Amino acid sequence: MHICRVEIVNFRNFEHAVFECGQNVVLLGENKAGKSNLLLALRLVLDPALPDSGRKLRMEDIWDGIEEPGPEDGVKVSVDLTDFEEDENQLALLADHLVQPEPMVARLTYVWEPRKNLKETPRKESDYDFSLYGGDRPENRIYGDLRRRLPMELLNALRDCEADLARWTRSPLRPLLDQAIKEMDAADLIRYAEKIEEASEELTQAPEIVKQAKKLDDQLRSMVGKNQALDLLLRFAPIDPDRLVRSLRVFIDGGKRGIGDASLGSTNLLFFALKMLEYRQLVEEGDREHTFLAIEEPEAHLHPTLQRLVFRNYLRLREEEGENKLPEASVWVSTHSPHIASVAPLDSFVFLRSDGNATSIVSTAKLELSERSKEDLERYLDVSRGEMLFARGVILVEGDAEKFLVPVLAKAQSVDLDEAGISVCSVSGTNFGPYAKFLHALGVPYAILSDGDPDAEGVLGGLRRAESLLEKLFPETEWDLATWEATDEAAAENGIFVNGHTFEIALFECGLTVEFEEAMTSISSTGKRTERMEEWVSGNEEFDPEQFLKDIEEVSKGRFAQRLASFIVKRGSTACPDYIRKAIAYVQERANPS
Amino acid sequence: MSKSAPTQASSGYQAAAESLRDNDRQWAAYESRGNCVVLAGPGSGKTKTLTIKLARMLAEDVSPPRGVACITYTRACAGELVRRLDDLGVGQSSRLFIGTVHSFCFQELVIPFGRLAGLEIPESVAVATENDRASHFSAALETVHGSDEKPFDWLGRFGRFRRTNLDRHQDGFVADDEGVAAIVLEYEKRLLKAGLTDFDQMVDFGLRLVEEHAWVRKAIKAKFPILIVDEYQDMVPALDRLVRTLCFKEGMRLFAVGDPDQSIYGFQDASPELMDELAKRDDVERVQLRLNYRCGQRIISAAETALGQRRDYRSNRAEAGTISIHKRPKGLDDQAAFIVDELVPSILSRLPNGDLSDVAVLYRDYNTGSAIAKEVQRRGWDFIRLDRGNPLPQSPFVDWLNQCAAWCAGGWKTGRPRLSSVISSWLGLRRFAAADVDRRELQVNLVRFLQGHREPEDSAFDWLNEFRDACLEGFLTEALESRGEKENFEKLLAAFQPKGAFAAFTVRTLGGQGGAKGHLNLMTLHNAKGLEFAAVIIPDLEQGRLPNYYALKELAAKNDRQYREERRLFYVGLTRSKIEVHLLWSGWYKNKSFTAQNGPSQFLSEVAKAIGYPIA
Repeated sequence: MHICRVEIVNFRNFEHAVFECGQNVVLLGENKAGKSNLLLALRLVLDPALPDSGRKLRMEDIWDGIEEPGPEDGVKVSVDLTDFEEDENQLALLADHLVQPEPMVARLTYVWEPRKNLKETPRKESDYDFSLYGGDRPENRIYGDLRRRLPMELLNALRDCEADLARWTRSPLRPLLDQAIKEMDAADLIRYAEKIEEASEELTQAPEIVKQAKKLDDQLRSMVGKNQALDLLLRFAPIDPDRLVRSLRVFIDGGKRGIGDASLGSTNLLFFALKMLEYRQLVEEGDREHTFLAIEEPEAHLHPTLQRLVFRNYLRLREEEGENKLPEASVWVSTHSPHIASVAPLDSFVFLRSDGNATSIVSTAKLELSERSKEDLERYLDVSRGEMLFARGVILVEGDAEKFLVPVLAKAQSVDLDEAGISVCSVSGTNFGPYAKFLHALGVPYAILSDGDPDAEGVLGGLRRAESLLEKLFPETEWDLATWEATDEAAAENGIFVNGHTFEIALFECGLTVEFEEAMTSISSTGKRTERMEEWVSGNEEFDPEQFLKDIEEVSKGRFAQRLASFIVKRGSTACPDYIRKAIAYVQERANPS
Repeated sequence: MSKSAPTQASSGYQAAAESLRDNDRQWAAYESRGNCVVLAGPGSGKTKTLTIKLARMLAEDVSPPRGVACITYTRACAGELVRRLDDLGVGQSSRLFIGTVHSFCFQELVIPFGRLAGLEIPESVAVATENDRASHFSAALETVHGSDEKPFDWLGRFGRFRRTNLDRHQDGFVADDEGVAAIVLEYEKRLLKAGLTDFDQMVDFGLRLVEEHAWVRKAIKAKFPILIVDEYQDMVPALDRLVRTLCFKEGMRLFAVGDPDQSIYGFQDASPELMDELAKRDDVERVQLRLNYRCGQRIISAAETALGQRRDYRSNRAEAGTISIHKRPKGLDDQAAFIVDELVPSILSRLPNGDLSDVAVLYRDYNTGSAIAKEVQRRGWDFIRLDRGNPLPQSPFVDWLNQCAAWCAGGWKTGRPRLSSVISSWLGLRRFAAADVDRRELQVNLVRFLQGHREPEDSAFDWLNEFRDACLEGFLTEALESRGEKENFEKLLAAFQPKGAFAAFTVRTLGGQGGAKGHLNLMTLHNAKGLEFAAVIIPDLEQGRLPNYYALKELAAKNDRQYREERRLFYVGLTRSKIEVHLLWSGWYKNKSFTAQNGPSQFLSEVAKAIGYPIA
């Protein structure tokens, strides 16, 4: 089972946010974008641990954009669930709440709204009340038993794992030990208890212990007199067989150290591991059908390496569980950590973005990409540590040369891409489609820098690519691209910028010739390439683009670009090809509207 | 009040099951693993077997959140099952559906799945009252056939058409009676347009949903892997087909209980054959209960004579029982006076701790009921009257009012009914009051009223009036929720008002409707189904009354279908009695337009002959 769609109306920073999602979700967004509010919204519907008093909202929980709420202005959260129909227990629980039969989708809704019989406009909290119902039928009320069987559990950022592990009632160790007690032979259990009782008795009777106990006892008697004496002994807790097992505690490092001595990281790791076992067991024992585990910013306590390992495992549960078995838990994790985001499945991202007034939510759940493109993108996110996910804007480029040089060129235009939160990402080729679709879905502003690559007839391959990209990205739009000029224009309007030939040639032609000469001089091992470059720069020889590119490729495009960058910086050159200037401005305007 | 209720031992049914062990047939039913049909004659412990088995299946065979659905024919039967299960420690929960077949179709199929499956039902739909149905029917008739037609000439065919043409919504269906088909179409269209539905339509919708949509079957089976059907012999063809589809096509496990000999709803197209066929299936275990815990052996024999079939039921009762036949030549009024002045007092004198509620007068229809009631009122006895002439209306809301009165009249001490069930019934009636705070208010107001009115001897009229002011106004003015109940409430008030038919009614008597001490039971044979009394009096046993005129006419035309049902009706009446049966006749009866001199009922003569006192 998983949540497939969420709709939030008038709650805190959400005016009307709707998004779709898959088995597991990674919530991304800047601070204050409302990640915690989103999780709270889900908990209003699903968390059995949230008391009714927590479901009673306050006036300030109504979306800020509504200054004077009227009788129709209530808060509403709807959670759609799907992928449950093959599990008869889950279906039994949700059958009354269907909103779609094939495939089945069930809807659970929380509302907090002005009371129906109110005579005037609502002014205070007591004018409102909440209710929960299923299947879009308000009279079809849902109660705690449903939440208990499909709970959302929240592990918040600042929780105290150690205390939870130590406190029996909340310890995730408890179900495991209870299970052990259930499976154990009662006679064995009593035998163990007796042995411990025996050893405990012996220890209690040891003269050294008795002596110290007496010392304390005497002190007490001297303080309060013998009538008030406490009759004191030093010993272990009385041994009841069940409690014996329950008093087992976790030790690490082969039993040398208690959990109190473990690092925060280990404690958290242990905690997560126990939680997953617990959820499985609860489903197997029939106590619940599924768990929605919400984790807030787990990076606070986990080392980056552990973040990657733990969440790679968590978030890709489905693959590990095999085909026949549905996972017992879905994970909703909110994070700022690139380590976590970079190992998440491509369709798990939910992105919150605030425009200061209301937060919009977009997701990648319905991204239409081939499996191969998905794998490519996931790999890219993984090795780039999720750079794109945290950028305010992205410039997609073909290769390393652009990656090195675009930031330098931008700086020369007085745009610091780092400060602006704009990343330059190389797609290592010209297959921009999947990346663009992904960013498009996330709503991250982006521009594409593409080489013209003219063919034998002089038609730019870059424009052909741009045309097909436009059609893929905006399937609803009817493009009127009768001429290549029209294509170029439409492409630029949508962030696709194509040069006339090749990146290096565009740079050379925009006036960075001296810098090219210096770069070649400093890098080339043969005098011939340097000589040719000098001749082209001085204008003594006619510029030969083919030879020019061949020479740069021979010394390695990337290395040449790095060197060229140094000389541009050194000279403080401000020349920049037009299409790059436009691309930078395009992204900057959208990423950081002034 | 803060103390939690004592937890019921989960083994309540296990202890109770020990009492089934001695009866090998009951035990076989209790031990059944697959589909099982229990053929349960009168007094055979049917309800006991069913409830204990239900409790077991709920505890052992299905685990939460899945559950068991148990459907029966009348609200009274459903209420009885709820009480009996409560005694076993099985409370109401979302895992257990107990209700009528109609509420099953409506609540569990039509409401959750109807609109999703594309049935054209309004968002909120209410159950049509008798008046609604009559007016929409007349309007439909007029639209289709003009204003000269009399509804009465069409009603029978109309009902039969709807109940028997189960495939009428399928493509290619050709009606054999197009005149009626057109009325049905128009009527159903009008009903839905008005936001209403009726019982036949609920069943029709229910059947279509499970037959046409695999996902509906899957969903309902997920919720209720086990389906229990009580009184299977009353199933109309559509419901029989619904049960078969769910159980033999989708694989819900069936546990059906009933007695074809007590099938008396032929006028609604039920027939005993459906259950007989079910019991013959290879994939169904058939269990025939033999022992009769209710009737004396002599009564059993007489009843089988009346039925015209040997069943070989054995009585588990020490007394053989008595059958007395009384001739009152001066007609029905004479019979009524005799019952009140002589028969009932003498019965009471023979019964240890005899109470009026141990005695029932069972009859064909409300005309006879009126004659008896008149004499009973003259005598000044309290009575319960269940027939069309009952000035007290019957409906879910009125049932609930009775429950409230029962609680006020002492139920608060005995836990019968439980306050929680009174409250939850109220919230059920007020299902459209959505907000929690409103519902809490409803609950608080109700409890406050009930707590403050625990005076059994207060007048029912005052009690109802105060109840209305304190709690009911909102409900009675909600057109959708209280469909028809406002009229029912007014009828109740009219009956209890100082000059009304039941001016003497108190909270206690109101609460006792449906089995109170001190009340003589007057009811139709149909209404007596499922009940038992120490003594049963059946008046009006004239040829032409039972069997009735139509059945005899059809018999003469070689169609004994209705005639056999008349036998079953008499059989049901006789088998309500534990110890004494009194049969009355005059040899003639008066109809609206004529007096018939046909002599005693032929069934009566057969019984008389069999017990050795033939009627000359």
